[in-house]
Amino acid sequence: MLTVATDSPVFPPWFEHNNPANGKGYESAVAYAIAAQLGFSKSQVQWAKEPFNNAYAPGPKKFDFDINEVSVTPQRATAVTFSNGYYDVQQALVALQNTPIVTKHSPADLKGYVFGDQVGTTSLAFINSKIQPTTQPKVFETLNDVKQALQTHQIAALVTDTPTAQFISADEIHHSVLVGQFPSTGEHYGLVFQQGNPLVGCVNKAIATLKGNGTLKSLQQQYLQDYLRVPVLQP
Amino acid sequence: MDDSQPDPGASAGGYLPPGEFIGGAGIPGTFAAAGRGPRLLSGGGRRATALSTASTLVVLAILAAVFLLAPGSKEVRHTFFSPHDMWQSLVGNPRQGYYSVGSALWLNIRMFLIAEVLILILALVLALIRQSSGPVLFPLRILTTVYVDFFRGVPLILVIFAIGFGVPALSLGFISLQSAAVYGVLALVLTYSAYVSEVYRAGLNSVHRSQVAAARSLGLSQQAALRHVILPQAVRTIIPPLLNDFISLQKDTALVGILGAIEANKAAEIFSDTVFNYSSYTVAAIFFLLLTIPLARFTDHLIERDRRRRLAGATQ
Repeated sequence: MLTVATDSPVFPPWFEHNNPANGKGYESAVAYAIAAQLGFSKSQVQWAKEPFNNAYAPGPKKFDFDINEVSVTPQRATAVTFSNGYYDVQQALVALQNTPIVTKHSPADLKGYVFGDQVGTTSLAFINSKIQPTTQPKVFETLNDVKQALQTHQIAALVTDTPTAQFISADEIHHSVLVGQFPSTGEHYGLVFQQGNPLVGCVNKAIATLKGNGTLKSLQQQYLQDYLRVPVLQP
Repeated sequence: MDDSQPDPGASAGGYLPPGEFIGGAGIPGTFAAAGRGPRLLSGGGRRATALSTASTLVVLAILAAVFLLAPGSKEVRHTFFSPHDMWQSLVGNPRQGYYSVGSALWLNIRMFLIAEVLILILALVLALIRQSSGPVLFPLRILTTVYVDFFRGVPLILVIFAIGFGVPALSLGFISLQSAAVYGVLALVLTYSAYVSEVYRAGLNSVHRSQVAAARSLGLSQQAALRHVILPQAVRTIIPPLLNDFISLQKDTALVGILGAIEANKAAEIFSDTVFNYSSYTVAAIFFLLLTIPLARFTDHLIERDRRRRLAGATQ
């Protein structure tokens, strides 16, 4: 058996219907594609629920790897082992229609808004290091809380990865818009392993194969293609 | 107690059964002479002190050995007690995506101080209404009873969510544009007032009815009797349980973090989720201890002072 972990609830386009085991959504599909490369059939993959901030707890892990839009950073790599990237991330802005930020978002304008994001995401570092707003951003436990804060005007815009931003603006908050995405900072998502787990070697080979034979690209087109044509903003 | 005083335990063979450690101080007269209550380590002489010190050290040594020799000790120590990460989370570095736990604590302290004052006032009003006897106030009494039942029954975290996300959604202009900390304080005040009003009520009930009768017979009005006779006695009785609630309130300010306000616990969470190390929570815990321990010791001091006064009154 191969045990793969992710958070609950999970959202499109990464997963669909909050059910990682249906093979739909980019991350679910990638997990099954990697499993197939390692020689596991679909029935030999089981899913574990692992909240984001439990995934790096010390001690034995209850999963072989965790797939949960975790960005790879050098500091994090001292606590867990990461696979090579399976998706390159860009940060994007979502705001409510007819609010000032939709039209006024020059780098100087952006500094004046109140931003919000989910705790533990690399978005907060992005906001503080690139946008450098004058007001401290608000940081919420879950993405749902961030969306709630946006709808109740407690924040001017939320910052999250582009596919999630696209999903929120297109399907979740009807009167919201994806203002645009910021240029890539080289950030990418990796799978999380227990520190020193040798399985990572085989998984990296699998990811390399999936990249080489175009599987990752076609999965991105299948699940994320709507999300890749977005205007670029300068922070 | 020193060795010159009579010690029934020591004279009965030099060995004290555990109960005697406390009982030894219970000799009539020693309370007034020492001016302190029974202490855990008083009585039993030097030998007992040496024994208790040795046993404490052995227990601590065993706990430390288990912690240090456990197979995963190194990993746990790095994850929770890494000096480097503790320092980083203490000073913060917003450009790396995390804030100083130390400066975030200032928000907890402000929320606590403001909430405490408001709770003391609102809870007193609630308690006085519930204790009132006039028939005209009957609807208010029903309302306060429902209020207290409701806010003691609903989990605080739900109240914080409901106020913090509900009030802004109402779009009530100025009221809906407050910061998360303001809504958090409001939620804390609503919930804690329900608890504290019950503490007040217990205090008011503890004042004997004859005190009211005596005050009224001296010509004091109902309000004056309440203000000058009942409340001073009631409040003196309830100071320890009140402070106990406030120690708990200090820690519960951390729950306001769910609204996006960056208080100490939230700052610690942001740090740990950013660099994958829990040492920031240790820093936050140390700060909360530093906040609550002085209040706990002060509570002990007040209990002791009050006990002394009562005992002094009883023998006069």
